[in-house]
Amino acid sequence: MLVAQLALNAVALGAAYALVAIGFVLVLNATTAVNFAHGESVVAGGFIAVALTGVASGIWPSSLPGIIFLPGVLLLTALLGLAIASLAYLPIRNKPPVSVFVTTIAFGIIVTNGLNAGFGAAPRTVPALLGSGTVEIFGITASRQSLAIIATATLLIGMLAILLQRTQLGRKFRASAQDPEMARALGIRLTRITLLGFALGTAFAGAAGLLLAHQFFITPFDGVGLILKAYVAVVIGGWGSLRGATLGAMLIATFEVAVASVSSQSLAEGLLYIAVLLVLLIRPEGIFGETQRLRA
Amino acid sequence: MSPDRTELIQRQSPLLAGGGALVVYAMFIASSYDQRLLTISGIYVIMVLGYQFIFGHAGALSLAQGAFFGVGAYVTGILGSQLGAGFLATFPASIAIAAGLALIVGIPVLRLASHYFALATLALSQLLLLLAINWEPVTGGANGLPGVPPIQIGDLRIDRGVPQLAFVWGLAGVAILIASRQLRPIRVAMFTVMRESPLAVPAFGIDAGLLRLRAFLLSAAFGGAAGALFVHTNRVVSPETLGFGTMVTCLTMTVVGGRFRISGAIIGALLLTHLPEWFRGFDEYYLVMVGVLLLAMVIFVPDGLASFLKDSSWAGQIRTRARPAEPTDVLDAAKPTLNITNVSKRYGGIQALDRVGMSIETGEIVGLIGPNGAGKTTLANIITGIDRADSGSSKSAHIDLAAATPTAIARNGIARTFQTPQLPNELTVRTAIEVAAANNGGHCLTDTVITSCQLINILDAPCGTLPHGVRRRVEIARALAGQPHLLILDEPAAGLAPDEQTVVAEILRAHAAKGLAILVIDHNIDFLQPLATRLACLDSGRLIADGSVADVLADDAVLTAYFGILRQ
Repeated sequence: MLVAQLALNAVALGAAYALVAIGFVLVLNATTAVNFAHGESVVAGGFIAVALTGVASGIWPSSLPGIIFLPGVLLLTALLGLAIASLAYLPIRNKPPVSVFVTTIAFGIIVTNGLNAGFGAAPRTVPALLGSGTVEIFGITASRQSLAIIATATLLIGMLAILLQRTQLGRKFRASAQDPEMARALGIRLTRITLLGFALGTAFAGAAGLLLAHQFFITPFDGVGLILKAYVAVVIGGWGSLRGATLGAMLIATFEVAVASVSSQSLAEGLLYIAVLLVLLIRPEGIFGETQRLRA
Repeated sequence: MSPDRTELIQRQSPLLAGGGALVVYAMFIASSYDQRLLTISGIYVIMVLGYQFIFGHAGALSLAQGAFFGVGAYVTGILGSQLGAGFLATFPASIAIAAGLALIVGIPVLRLASHYFALATLALSQLLLLLAINWEPVTGGANGLPGVPPIQIGDLRIDRGVPQLAFVWGLAGVAILIASRQLRPIRVAMFTVMRESPLAVPAFGIDAGLLRLRAFLLSAAFGGAAGALFVHTNRVVSPETLGFGTMVTCLTMTVVGGRFRISGAIIGALLLTHLPEWFRGFDEYYLVMVGVLLLAMVIFVPDGLASFLKDSSWAGQIRTRARPAEPTDVLDAAKPTLNITNVSKRYGGIQALDRVGMSIETGEIVGLIGPNGAGKTTLANIITGIDRADSGSSKSAHIDLAAATPTAIARNGIARTFQTPQLPNELTVRTAIEVAAANNGGHCLTDTVITSCQLINILDAPCGTLPHGVRRRVEIARALAGQPHLLILDEPAAGLAPDEQTVVAEILRAHAAKGLAILVIDHNIDFLQPLATRLACLDSGRLIADGSVADVLADDAVLTAYFGILRQ
């Protein structure tokens, strides 16, 4: 019984982490750049939801379910993604990758401290997606929020899959990820693909912020921990693989929930960081192999 | 005073004048608060100098510099406040433990590619932060440890104010001396090769792992020293010193000041320590501004404010490491300088090499032909240790190639050039050749090589400014500078005009006449036919011909495989 509930929690957490990791890989595929502001994008998504809740409460007397804010969060974080791309990536795309690391770190500093100045350092929360409380399914007492997180993440990932697999734009995106030179030769405008990658990737991170902020609260300084988790998921899943990133996110969430259930969250986090170092030490190409050649 | 020194002082005069003004300000004008800020600046100078090794020269984004600073701080904090240990014990301990930690994580982590390294060092920092917060009995938890004593050496107590300021800047001066000794011209050039031509690092005889480890250890040692001094001035050690904030401060100082030059560390540290005072009105938004500054610097002034100072850099001469003289005539003419037997290599479903055997003797020029994908470059990569053969053996006169690292192979007299010349854009032709000569043990050879490769007129041109044909000659000179006994050239004639090809052929012939064995991979029969003393042909990984030029060019199998001619 308890195991089933823990498993559900793990899957829900994994689904939210998967959005973060997928967002990271989308930027990676569009540019080969590692976006160090990605963790802050999750935080930004959470705080956009906090702000929208505040605005909505002024207009609508009764409290609204969190899912209402999803389109707003997606749109605004997509805009944030365009800002990251045009300020921190495009001006220096021909410089060594380390330059992009530093500019995206700088962007993260701006976001973190902007949020800290605007909202304060105290943890904030957002409304549950579709109401709080529990429901009984197959004899299991399941939290509504966990189920809503899984449903929302599945919906978003499904829409992304359709975009990438079934549309011309998605085909262009995948072509550019596999071979940018050839894609350019075929008339694909790489700058647009870059912007698309950052917009989509950051919107996915933002959505994860909305999903995570209800249960776990959110502070402006959570970005560093989140990017490490996304990164581990991507490394475990194979650099550049969307499917691998999802799987990696599920593994991390399971690990975190399992360790936290018998010990503390700090220990779970600490062991995760040790795991990062060990994975990098033993198999830097990822547990499931590398799907694209390193160009970074 | 020697003219050199006078010139140096003239070049450094803005820096000296600025330094003098600062001393006057610190001693007579500054309030005790200003003196404290200057003390902190001196501490950050040490941290940034260390960070320049790994982030600037080695070109690797370490996110652990804040952690090393914090480790130094905690070691001094714990030993000082809990055990009452004095400065002479705590300071070396802080440095040693920070460097020891770098050694433990550095060996596995440093071979990782750029972002892996950045994230691994970030994970290390987060781990140490968690440890500092949660290991309460030792670290004091989130509140940290109060009661860290001031610096005390024997009976001498270094008090706040001018004594502390002078002491810290004295140590910053020592750090500057150590840094400038570490950054000898040859080492700076080696770092440049590592950053700009990663593929050619072994060919230059550079051990990249060792060089990076040295940079990482230095960064950690400097960081630990800075952290130790910081807690002495602060008297409290808290998790903040370990946090990402310290790392961001260090990164911003390095980027703003400049990541290569010592003056950059001083400028960055002084500026970023005083900036919050000058922009008090911004309150919490100050840190947003730091982010904007960091972003803008990378985009608009990538080499930092120090790049506006006159270039005082690295005018020194590179001295080549003298190897016991080993003149070419020692090489026994009858002895094969390369001997490969039964070498096979598979990539997934493709048999790149299939039981290839070949030997090359001194003075020979062997041309290796074959259709695209025949395995020519794979063979060159296996001889030079970049790839490992699945089976078979490859030996040279001095060394078992199958067991040696690419760097060891280059240092043992097997030189190579690449299909696309791999030269560091920023280094001059002269420096690039000297680096290879120094590392690969070619002594006093540079002048001969420069003359024979006809580079005398462009010695001071940066490699990045050269046209393709000249780059090729520079690369050949780089290969010859280590006084190799075997030279492997991967398509040296590709993309060259006929007259340029003639020059290359002349260079090769001249060196073969002195006993150098040469393996030339090329498609250009017109280039190879008059040059080679022997021809070999690979097809689908198998050696289908090996013999005199005339015989191989008349061979039916070669004609079919390579020229697409079917004879009845």
